[in-house]
Amino acid sequence: MTSRIEKQSIAADAQVMLRRAHLEGIDTVWERLAAQQPQCGYCLLGVSCRNCAMGPCRVDPFGEGPQKGVCGADADTIVARNLGRSIAAGAAAHSDHGRDILEVFLETAQGETSGYEIRDEAKLRSLAAEYGIASDGRSASDVAVELAEAIFEDYGSRKERIGFLGRVPEVRRAKWAELGITPRGIDRENVEMLHRTHMGVDNDYVNILLHGLRTSLSDGWGGSMVATDLSDVLFGTPEPVMSQVNLGTLKREYVNIALHGHNPLLSEVIVQAAGDPELVARAKELGAEGINLVGLCCTGNELLMRKGVPMAGNHLIQELVIMTGALEAMVVDYQCIMPSVTDIAKCFHTQIISTADKAKFPGATHISFDPHRGLEIGKQIVRAAVEAYANRVPDRVLIPGEPVPMMAGFSVEAILGALGGTPEPLVDAIKSGQIRGAVAIVGCNNPKIPQDKGHVTLTQRLIENDVLVVVTGCAAIANGKAGHLVPEAADLAGTGLGAIAKALGIPPVLHMGSCVDNSRVLVLAAALANHLGVDISDLPMAGAAPEWYSEKAVAIGAYVVASGIYTVLGVQPPIFGSENVVNLLTDGLEGVVGATFGVEPDPERAAVLIRRHIEAKRKALGLPFVEPDSIAMPEEVGAGV
Amino acid sequence: MKTVFVNPQRCIGCRQCEFACAVEHSRSKDPYLAIFESPVPKPRIHVESGPWMGSSFPNRCHHCDPAPCQQVCPTAAIGRNDEFGVVLVDIDKCIACAMCAMVCPFAAITFHVQAEAAAPRVVSTKCDGCFDRIRRDEEPACVEVCKVDALVYGELNDLLREERIQKAVLAIDATTGVAPTEPDMLAGWRAWGKEVAHVAGGV
Repeated sequence: MTSRIEKQSIAADAQVMLRRAHLEGIDTVWERLAAQQPQCGYCLLGVSCRNCAMGPCRVDPFGEGPQKGVCGADADTIVARNLGRSIAAGAAAHSDHGRDILEVFLETAQGETSGYEIRDEAKLRSLAAEYGIASDGRSASDVAVELAEAIFEDYGSRKERIGFLGRVPEVRRAKWAELGITPRGIDRENVEMLHRTHMGVDNDYVNILLHGLRTSLSDGWGGSMVATDLSDVLFGTPEPVMSQVNLGTLKREYVNIALHGHNPLLSEVIVQAAGDPELVARAKELGAEGINLVGLCCTGNELLMRKGVPMAGNHLIQELVIMTGALEAMVVDYQCIMPSVTDIAKCFHTQIISTADKAKFPGATHISFDPHRGLEIGKQIVRAAVEAYANRVPDRVLIPGEPVPMMAGFSVEAILGALGGTPEPLVDAIKSGQIRGAVAIVGCNNPKIPQDKGHVTLTQRLIENDVLVVVTGCAAIANGKAGHLVPEAADLAGTGLGAIAKALGIPPVLHMGSCVDNSRVLVLAAALANHLGVDISDLPMAGAAPEWYSEKAVAIGAYVVASGIYTVLGVQPPIFGSENVVNLLTDGLEGVVGATFGVEPDPERAAVLIRRHIEAKRKALGLPFVEPDSIAMPEEVGAGV
Repeated sequence: MKTVFVNPQRCIGCRQCEFACAVEHSRSKDPYLAIFESPVPKPRIHVESGPWMGSSFPNRCHHCDPAPCQQVCPTAAIGRNDEFGVVLVDIDKCIACAMCAMVCPFAAITFHVQAEAAAPRVVSTKCDGCFDRIRRDEEPACVEVCKVDALVYGELNDLLREERIQKAVLAIDATTGVAPTEPDMLAGWRAWGKEVAHVAGGV
């Protein structure tokens, strides 16, 4: 029988903290999920609508009670509207993140910021070339200003297609044009989705969902890509880097600061400020040995990728990291930051410092971030953390275990660099069957799934069957904790993938970055497709989000599928109230965009679905293949979970 | 004799019966005002989750006859209205000893402050069969708000006959392999919850 805590998380560090939470009566996300049971079936099925004041309405999924909302919308329309709005919210989050980077990028080029500079001029000039901006003989700042103006245009309503679509294989672009889902403007598609899902606008579920795909594409090839590529220009394009992960990255003797959220703008200057001799001296004066920075979620991933800053953990660690009693400050920007962190911080000496004016937290200290005074504000925040060290209660410090080493920094540029500058070696390995294909495992943690179990089990099953795995976001951190992100993990992979990983000195699982860096996965897929002269949907590739929770993940799943990559979700999206919507997403989309969604919470079974898909794609390409149906489900071979 | 019958397999956990019940047992009977009343009105029906996500059971007093709670009440606060077949608590006689709760086969009795008590105090609080409503020939509030027929109201034998017909269909399905009566999509939704319980290491 699995214990209560083992059902909550497979991560050893989390289990120690969960025992402490239990002993001290501190409620965490898992208790709050239990308190919410049973959760409303109408909303879980997607058949409740609150979009107007004639409602709220719900449709009886048994088919006997009301089948239409007051306005006449049936389950298909209601489910599609709700899903469309989720995609828009997720895309808006990524796009807003991208815009924040873009604004600072422009201001930096104009010399108005403090603590920022253009670090990757080569990438700047290659982006400029993509946008048709001449850069020969011009200063970096000149080029950057013109590029920023051009990308700002991508946010608006004046263009027929957003700028990064040049990266998409021609055949895929033609498909989108034919379907009428070419993304025209990063903000425009979100606004149009809100319009369409207002009562009495788009009542056709197929039409709503097609626009949902367009909205998601404006994120993947738009907002997220802007965030990724401009962050590379501003902060440097990631290169392979060794670091460490789990709660053991906190150091008992140091002032510990966790950087949590998604946006690297602020954390960038915090890293600079943490090295300030005056602040380090103050930390020592208070009895600490120095200042230790750790990351959480995607702000952490951004710092890990570019600077090797260690990772405290992923989404469901955010409450537990405070319970170590060793965290002086959690500095947050936005997205995925639980309102509960300020409650839990009350039981410890931890300062929660919010920094984004669009994301305030009752109970937090708000230090408004302004890039014009970036470094100064960074120092102010670090100073607050250092002063909090004086309030630490040594007896309350409980840091579980030792950190695990991990390797990150696999931008597309770095992957191609590892391959010798061309995708050829990877393509050859896939062609020969030494590597069967590639899978992107992405997304969050969700307390409905034992923490990290979905990510780690699925990854293990894929790499041992010679499938290259690339990871981002919370999935990547789960794999780091499980020891998948070190070159030695090649021993955990099958002989084919293992040999290649060993030859290149890389892990069999490549950490490609934060959640906006899923755009890197798109770029890599497009590069492989272009190299082979095929569509992305022809590649032996798949995506998976085994433990997703957020609306951003809905947008990501949609743009990955719309880009032609079959994607398996571990958590049900709220669509099961409409058979038509489920059939469209899990089957009908195949004939539309060449990819579908699957839903499978058991990672053992998800691995089989994905391997079958990869072999079917290999077969279609005329590559050596295993008959897909010969790959047995775990229950068919008598294997338990 | 009309009664409320529960179809647990129909419940999807929306908990609207709880809210409707609390409003019905408020002073204002108005959902917008009820939440601001003091004491805050409490529901007498309780939706608890089953063994996996996606399963739930709306639990309430079944107005037993003989009623164990009535048999053990030391102050004779619990009595039966024969005309409507409901077991009622006279809160002025209730001494909040919880004997009724100890013997209730359904754990359907809770203890809360009730505004109607002569002096507001904690007393035995349970479903009264929506006595005020059924006397006006209306459905109980929980039944009225339930849109999936997890709670139905009618003559018990009529309801049971409907249930028998459904069971007959299921039995014939089971023996002849015809599709089950639960819609496919709902079965798919529930299958996820069961599978997650399995992934997490069993129910």
